[in-house]
Amino acid sequence: MRITRKAAGAAAATVAVALTLTACGGGTDAAEPGSAEKVSTDEDITISLAWWGEPARAEMYEEAVDLFEEKHPNITVQTQFQDWDGYWTSRATEAAGGALPDVIQMDLSYLRQYGATGQLLDLDGQSGVNLDTGGVDDSLLASGQIDGSQFGVPTSTNTLATFYNADLLKKVGVEPLAEGYTWDDYSEWIQEVTEAGAGEDPALYGGTDFTGTFWFFLQWLIQQGEEPFSEDGELNFDEAQLTEWLNLGQGLRDSEAIFPIQKTKQLEPLGGFHVNQVASESTWDNFLAGYVAESGEDIQMLPIPSGENGPAQFWKPSMLLSASAQTEQPEAAAALIDFLINEPEVGKIFGTSKGVPAVQAQIDAMDVEPGSVDEQVVQYEEDVTDVVTEPAPVPVEGFGEIEAEFKRLGEELQYGNVTVDEFVTQWFSFADGAVKQS
Amino acid sequence: MTAVTSDTSLDDARGARPAPPERGRRSRRRDVGAGFAFLSPWLVGFVVLTAFPMVASLYLAFTDYDLFRPPSWVGLENFTKLFEDPRFWTSARVTAIYVLVGTPIKLAAALAVAMVLNMRHRGQGAYRSIFYAPSLIGASVSIAIVWKAMFIDNGIVDRIGQLFGLPAGGWVGDPSKTMPMFVLLAVWTFGAPMVIFLAGLKQIPGELYEAAAVDGAGPIRKFWRITIPMLSPVLFFNLLLETIGAFQVFGSAFIISGGTGGPADSTLFYTLYLYIKGFAQFDMGYASAMAWVLVVVVGVITAILFKTSNAWVHYSGDNR
Repeated sequence: MRITRKAAGAAAATVAVALTLTACGGGTDAAEPGSAEKVSTDEDITISLAWWGEPARAEMYEEAVDLFEEKHPNITVQTQFQDWDGYWTSRATEAAGGALPDVIQMDLSYLRQYGATGQLLDLDGQSGVNLDTGGVDDSLLASGQIDGSQFGVPTSTNTLATFYNADLLKKVGVEPLAEGYTWDDYSEWIQEVTEAGAGEDPALYGGTDFTGTFWFFLQWLIQQGEEPFSEDGELNFDEAQLTEWLNLGQGLRDSEAIFPIQKTKQLEPLGGFHVNQVASESTWDNFLAGYVAESGEDIQMLPIPSGENGPAQFWKPSMLLSASAQTEQPEAAAALIDFLINEPEVGKIFGTSKGVPAVQAQIDAMDVEPGSVDEQVVQYEEDVTDVVTEPAPVPVEGFGEIEAEFKRLGEELQYGNVTVDEFVTQWFSFADGAVKQS
Repeated sequence: MTAVTSDTSLDDARGARPAPPERGRRSRRRDVGAGFAFLSPWLVGFVVLTAFPMVASLYLAFTDYDLFRPPSWVGLENFTKLFEDPRFWTSARVTAIYVLVGTPIKLAAALAVAMVLNMRHRGQGAYRSIFYAPSLIGASVSIAIVWKAMFIDNGIVDRIGQLFGLPAGGWVGDPSKTMPMFVLLAVWTFGAPMVIFLAGLKQIPGELYEAAAVDGAGPIRKFWRITIPMLSPVLFFNLLLETIGAFQVFGSAFIISGGTGGPADSTLFYTLYLYIKGFAQFDMGYASAMAWVLVVVVGVITAILFKTSNAWVHYSGDNR
């Protein structure tokens, strides 16, 4: 008994020390631009690289990494990948232990979580030495910065889009939406398609409940000239606005005009649009490749519904690349990031599967065959340039969590387990605890 | 370890003792050393992988810890938050239903199959293996995936159901049907308790049944008056293990719901919510508090089971 108690005390003390130690790692002092040394060309270096995605993306990454290793024969890159959810739980655990991979694929939703807590390398030090970000548009580059320090480099961009299945619409005899349509027009159109498609087997639905997607709510706020988040990292909207947004979909939910949530849950990770039971879906434009591959039908793209000042869309970095603050090889890590964002061959390998590349040389290198998916996405991003009038909102710390909670409550809403008012109360009370000021 | 060495050095200091016991003491000390040496793989494993994380989680339960910043002491706040959290209560309810419904059905199925297999017939061993097979693979990732595929919209279960006029639509997406699906998965993996029951059944002397038959007892009477009392220690053992196991169900729930506990929180098992809190919502302090609440609850339930066992478990040699 005596031993146990002593051991327990000692262990507790060790925990405390260990935790304090890990917390000390990685300061947030800004790095001197270009202060790093040039990456070594003779010393044997091993670095690790992690990303989320499906096996198809893994093949592309492996191909790109092989090319990198050819150019840097002294550097070995160890790779690993997971699906989205698993990826973030693994990274969170590694971050707690101070053992993040040297280079990680980063998302805007989590950039602040990792960047503001000293987990990521300030890449400014590598800039101009091992990392060239000159080809990336300044406003896009800024989305990877926190308080002026570059914690992530955007690899590519995407923006929201409405996809529709032209073959299915022809079949049920409903005209596609015309550009300039509003949110109300969209709801009415969904209703119309669902009514026309009721006789099909399986029944065809016009769309899904777009109000359950957090990014669309943000987009809608931006259309009204509101900034979703304040500069000091807090929510900048209130319960009345969220209620108004959710009520936009109430008519569709009441009349059961949207694809039933029961069916959606069973199709995951695919959706009704993938399997040709839904005629339209609004999401990020780089999803096109996945839709075309699954559905095999004629998928067309439109800008998203307009608010008072048009669609007011924004470019979002579809993903970024970051390096760990704990990396022992910051030069090699920066060189890998540089290669992945700038090398034309890499652009050719990935196409638009990660969004349209941030660097023009990569866009030029793509084999854009007429009528191909890549061509369609690049064309779409060219077409919508006029309506992309706003900067991307800078997510608050805890964004990933409040986004997930929004999705969960959105599903509860569709199951009829919560009302719009309950959604609003529960979500704000969750966000109170999850959003941290940095 | 420090306590052990200081004790022995104290013995050495006493010194003036007759030689023979001293030698014995020394060799015993060598034995102790060898014992610890042989235990060390287990000791290291236990301390590093079990004791240390447990102590750490006990500490974290009283802190606000988001994995990224050092934990800060908040006292009992996690525990008070817990009792006000509707999703905590949902997860407790889901788990309680699973334990209360799933465990008895699983044990009943295991006992029934064990009794059938206990009858003498050809190919006994083969049957035993076949019935045990699901348990070998039941906890695996692939089975959870297969299970989901079977119960999905227009899956095999749906089609069989339609033959009997049941409504279609799949079980996976319907919050009212997901729990029966999980109970079925649990029941299907009855192999482990079945094998233990079978061993217990073989221990029951045949004379008891013969004597009962002579006295005119039918099969039902034999079951309640002989099989159940004679089997009660085994039954108790299985009940305990299965109850504790059911509280900790995680893998299948994680895979079938994609780690969300959905649809509509109908499969939000306690351990799954704990995982979501800790690793998806970065609230490790809260998750640790949940873990300790679970430890206490399972401990209390085990204690209650032990208490009641005095009344219904008969060990051979007892005068009851």
